[in-house]
Amino acid sequence: MNFNLSDDNLALRDAAADFLTNEIDLAPLLVPGSTADAIDRESLWAKVAGLGWPALAVPESAGGLGMSLLDLVMVVGEIGRTVAPVALLGTLAGTWAITAAGSDEQRDRLLGPVAAGQCRLALAAADATGFHGAIPSVRATPSADGYILEGESHFVVDAPEADRIVCIAVLDGERRAFVVDADAAGLAVEQVDWRDITRKVAIVRFSATPAERLEGGWDAAWPDVRDRLYLYLAAESAAGSHAVLDEAVEYAKQRRAFGKPIGQFQAIKHQLAEIAGQVELADVGVQYAAWALDNRDPRASLAAAMAQAYASDTYRNATHRNIQVFGAIGFTWEMKNHLFYKRARCNAALLGESAHQHEEVVAMLEAEAA
Amino acid sequence: MDFTLPAEDDPRRIEIRSFFEDHPGASYAQLAERGYTAPNWPAPWGISADPETMIVLEQEYARAGIAHPMTFNLIAINQCGQSLLKWGTDDQRKELLPPALRCEARWCMLFSEPSGGSDLAGLRTTARREGDEYVVNGQKIWNSSANIASHGVLLARTDSTAPKHKGLTQFVIDMKTPGVTVRPIVDMSGEESEYCEVFLDEVRIPVSRRLGEEGDGWRITLEQLQTERQSMTKPGAIWGGGPTARELLDGLIATGRIKDPVIRGEAGRLYVEGEMLRLMSARHLSNKINGRPAGPEGSFGKMIASPHGQAISDLAKRSQGPAGMIRNPDVLPLPDKHFGRFSNWDYAYWFAPAGTLGVGTQEILKNAVSERILGLPREDDPDIKLPFDRTRRAAA
Ligand SMILES: Cc1cc2nc3c(=O)[nH]c(=O)nc-3n(C[C@H](O)[C@H](O)[C@H](O)COP(=O)(O)OP(=O)(O)OC[C@H]3O[C@@H](n4cnc5c(N)ncnc54)[C@H](O)[C@@H]3O)c2cc1C
Repeated sequence: MNFNLSDDNLALRDAAADFLTNEIDLAPLLVPGSTADAIDRESLWAKVAGLGWPALAVPESAGGLGMSLLDLVMVVGEIGRTVAPVALLGTLAGTWAITAAGSDEQRDRLLGPVAAGQCRLALAAADATGFHGAIPSVRATPSADGYILEGESHFVVDAPEADRIVCIAVLDGERRAFVVDADAAGLAVEQVDWRDITRKVAIVRFSATPAERLEGGWDAAWPDVRDRLYLYLAAESAAGSHAVLDEAVEYAKQRRAFGKPIGQFQAIKHQLAEIAGQVELADVGVQYAAWALDNRDPRASLAAAMAQAYASDTYRNATHRNIQVFGAIGFTWEMKNHLFYKRARCNAALLGESAHQHEEVVAMLEAEAA
Repeated sequence: MDFTLPAEDDPRRIEIRSFFEDHPGASYAQLAERGYTAPNWPAPWGISADPETMIVLEQEYARAGIAHPMTFNLIAINQCGQSLLKWGTDDQRKELLPPALRCEARWCMLFSEPSGGSDLAGLRTTARREGDEYVVNGQKIWNSSANIASHGVLLARTDSTAPKHKGLTQFVIDMKTPGVTVRPIVDMSGEESEYCEVFLDEVRIPVSRRLGEEGDGWRITLEQLQTERQSMTKPGAIWGGGPTARELLDGLIATGRIKDPVIRGEAGRLYVEGEMLRLMSARHLSNKINGRPAGPEGSFGKMIASPHGQAISDLAKRSQGPAGMIRNPDVLPLPDKHFGRFSNWDYAYWFAPAGTLGVGTQEILKNAVSERILGLPREDDPDIKLPFDRTRRAAA
């Protein structure tokens, strides 16, 4: 038993922190009304690729680093802490989908370029309601040299910059995963006005779009992918919560009213104490989930759902308290408080609000008891 | 990182389990003799158990169906006894510790006073030195188990001209000493007299019962309260002990009440919160194992665990509807009874308001977290630097 991070974990976290602290300049996003396009995402991605981040989750057999999820959340946490507009989520999601559903040959062929930083991915798995579990609205039919897809996927993170999209579609009444090239015929990617302007999110439309089918079934693959996506979001959320807590604490020490620092008023300090407690719990929940998934613990799915539920509630709460403590200045576009606030809510909505994970948790416990 | 607990074949577990198997229904005297009562203490009192062994022991106590001596004599074993290891004299240790560990001598804490508990350092009970004795006058209140305790850990003022935190001293007194009068107060749960008021009228205490030096009282008291809070960070409904959210879920599933959609969502949320608390208290242990400085988990822990405990006992009751409002110790099935009288949702529910009062109210805890951990500015206390006898509290 040892619930502490190793020196290697910490070194990785510190390296990611150094890089992001130096490289990320949020100023363009803080120009009133700016959009995700305000940032030079391409040159940022080139640097991220240079660091080997796209290879983090790619298995070693495919030329990746095959890093543990605990190590991965060290990096993801820093992306959360700095609200960095780094488009890693889509590539990780695609990587996990191909790893879980692809044959060995497909995995190595498709993920090799990802590891090399030459191919960005996205995962198109949700319908217009945002629901990932249902029968997808995209249909696949066999064609002469593979398959063609018809329909549309929604809330596809990082799709506008992806080179390949993994798409979940129905084939013969069954959910299967397909891979589509970004320049394939009949593919249209329409960026939506996603409120978290540190991410790009799109609707992806397929019209007789040629696609390659991944060999494995999606029903068996999805839980693995979902658990990892939960972990990713939870890691960003826990670290983001920590960041907004720290900033609110600092501000409360400086800002004065009625002749004293506002941090001396209990109505302020008690809110911050509560958030501090929640941040601590969210952090340990993320590390436990990463450990459980890495070790294929029987409770891994439970741990991932719990981490996402707790961290997303904490993040929503912490970002709101953060703006409250800052007062009106915290409500302006020019401050970065809203970037956290928006990411907290977008993260919570992407895979379903915490109430959905609470339901999953109860269902898993019922199954365990049966 | 490794979240697995010591396995079934861990040698420490095997040794502990075989003791319990060889001594079914072991007495508190046998357990103390074995060092299992305060296992983290050094020999001859304990076995210098590392935190992992502490977890194993706790699990094996539960497996053997024996209520931990801690639940019976918490104040001596957890909160105050170990102050004697650090601050006591050899004679004090030899005289006081063995009967306490055997649970023959029960202890109580004589800290709070009618004029205030939160501002503890402003207490008014005095101890004046007369030769080899101190003479104590004053009144204490809300003292758990004072009516059954043989010993009391007393905090009193030995110097009224010093600022309030500086003039305090601790003593271990015999509750049978002439001049000590104990009156039980019936708490709202009606389950037992949880606490008492204690009158101290010209009570003579030998100097040999002073803990540490004159003026060390506040430091020693803070250590004791910190240890006490630490023990309350587990996810149980009653100050860390008693039924947990896991047991709540088990009970709701076993009775089918989990199907009620109103109960279900809330139960899921509370289960998650309970698990996070459980993990955090395990991380805290891990910090100790790895020799890291004690993290903030203790204060955070109680701050979250107390309202969590209130919420889980509340849901256990509400899942019953009006039937829950009838006195009923078996609200939901509870397989683990190792918390003794605490293993009871009914008790947990009617005890709940105390959860955020005792051992520092929720407000005082939040002050501590925000000031000591987050570094926010301290409360104004106009009395803090004044000689105590010139403060308003002393005059009131
Ligand atoms: C079940 C139980 C067992 C107990 N056992 C013992 C025991 O064994 N020994 C013992 O000595 N004591 C014991 N206590 C007493 C306990 O420590 C005190 O009740 C507690 O410290 C609060 O003191 P008080 O009741 O005098 O409330 P007060 O100090 O009068 O507080 C009243 C209210 O004012 C709030 N308040 C006070 N100061 C502040 C501030 N600075 N900022 C914001 N709010 C503030 C408090 O939070 C509370 O809500 C026990 C209490 C309970 C409920």
